[in-house]
Amino acid sequence: MEMIEVRDVQFRYDEEEGSSAVVLDGIHMTVRKGEFVALLGHNGCGKSTLAKHFNAMLLPLGGAVLVKDMNTTDERHKYDIRSTVGMVLQNPDNQLVSTIVEEDVAFGPENLGVEPAVIRTRVDEALKAVGMYDYRDHAAHKLSGGQKQRVAIAGVLAMQPECIVLDEPTAMLDPRGRREVMDTVCRLNREQGITIVLITHYMEEAVLADRVLVMDDGKVVREGTPRQVFSQVEQLRALELDVPQPTELCHVLQQEGITLPDGVLTIEECAEALLQQLEGYHGGH
Amino acid sequence: MLSDITIGQFFPGNSVLHRIDPRVKLALTFIYIVAVFIPRNWWGLGLAVAALIGAALLSRLPARLLLKGLKPVLPLIVLTSIINLFYVDGTVLWHWWIFRITWEGIATAAFIAIRILCLIAGTSLLTYTTSPTTLTDALERLLSPLRVIRVPVHEIAMMMTIALRFIPTLIEETDKIMSAQKARGADMESGGLMQRVRALIPVLIPLFISSFRRAYELATAMECRCYHGGEGRTRMKQLHMRSGDYVALLLMALLIAALFVLNTQFPKVI
Repeated sequence: MEMIEVRDVQFRYDEEEGSSAVVLDGIHMTVRKGEFVALLGHNGCGKSTLAKHFNAMLLPLGGAVLVKDMNTTDERHKYDIRSTVGMVLQNPDNQLVSTIVEEDVAFGPENLGVEPAVIRTRVDEALKAVGMYDYRDHAAHKLSGGQKQRVAIAGVLAMQPECIVLDEPTAMLDPRGRREVMDTVCRLNREQGITIVLITHYMEEAVLADRVLVMDDGKVVREGTPRQVFSQVEQLRALELDVPQPTELCHVLQQEGITLPDGVLTIEECAEALLQQLEGYHGGH
Repeated sequence: MLSDITIGQFFPGNSVLHRIDPRVKLALTFIYIVAVFIPRNWWGLGLAVAALIGAALLSRLPARLLLKGLKPVLPLIVLTSIINLFYVDGTVLWHWWIFRITWEGIATAAFIAIRILCLIAGTSLLTYTTSPTTLTDALERLLSPLRVIRVPVHEIAMMMTIALRFIPTLIEETDKIMSAQKARGADMESGGLMQRVRALIPVLIPLFISSFRRAYELATAMECRCYHGGEGRTRMKQLHMRSGDYVALLLMALLIAALFVLNTQFPKVI
């Protein structure tokens, strides 16, 4: 049983002018349990729309989305699906409901009708998991962007989800907030085995994933490990996407005739490859 | 500059008054507001004032703070006092043209001024010692019987919670928009009243538009977290009545009884 299974999904928004553009055009994809998947694509390629299909916020016009074999169109499973697949949105300010941190984290389980004593333990655990336990009685609006986003993640965690979908969670954060959020996400994936679907514009974040999906024009056009996907620099450029900076550096050097391995992803790998190349150069002379 | 506004004016603390169950505190405040209108003579009014001063002492808040809260109602008090001063018949003390000041007029004016001060001080004591979120929570629970007659109690409380949550966010945003418009050459500080009001339009329109966008996103976020109204919802924080709460209710009952007794014992002033 897959965590999320998307079968030939079609979707378009109804526009008032009568003309409606197809947003999702026959999407096929799966997210396996415990996996960390990054979803890439330029603006307007339909990735946020796809994300909203994962937790029944939007329902497909054609095809089907299954979350642990529950069809999202089945009204009876709506809240099971939403508590299984939690969602964190881009703007940290617009997803916190309560003034106090711990009350906001309690919002999800309160909606699910969980016993008060159980909510208390879940809230404490969730806040500890994102490293915000010391801020539990602070005012939410006084936190930094990264802290707010971690509270938002805790709010989802308190519903005890098996999968968290994050829709550009770092887009409005400074580099430090970005690192805080990504560290938290990676730790939840590694230590608690929570399935992660990360939608992002930052290639350095996509590199951390087990698998990368690239979307264009309502379709999944590339799929593979970060190494497989990012080694095809020209193809990504054609899709209006960047590649991680180390990958780009190696690519440019390769074009200049210097032999370097394909699919270099991190700064460390890049440095290693360059070092070997330099040593080889000296050794040859 | 806008961030100086603190809605609800809550001052955290751990006094007896802070610890009373918010439902009880809310109910006591309402009862007190009514109770202030019971006394017909100075003894009764004195007791009502003494009860308030006693509560204020229990709150351990600085007196300066409590007095500052009374300042905004001064114009109202002055106005009602003047009206009472000139319009009550009785023993004339001073007379000029059509104006007369009577002994009874002075007494009535003072009596009503003290009543109004009690009302304001009593309610501000509630907001000073109770956080807005607890207050909303208490309101939801106290009003919950009204659900029977289809009053949307949960929705009202949720609206208040969200409003309280977004006041600082929107204040921050207003500041940002004002700076942005000033950077584009907008003049907000000079000119007459009309000119200044007009200068606010380029601030208010972006603020409205962004508020609607926020509202839409918040609704999405709430739905993602399984929000579906008050039906079947539980609360993490439970409220429990303690012995101190019953003592407070008892004291209030005694106060009201005493006020009625004093009304019968002494001649009425108003």
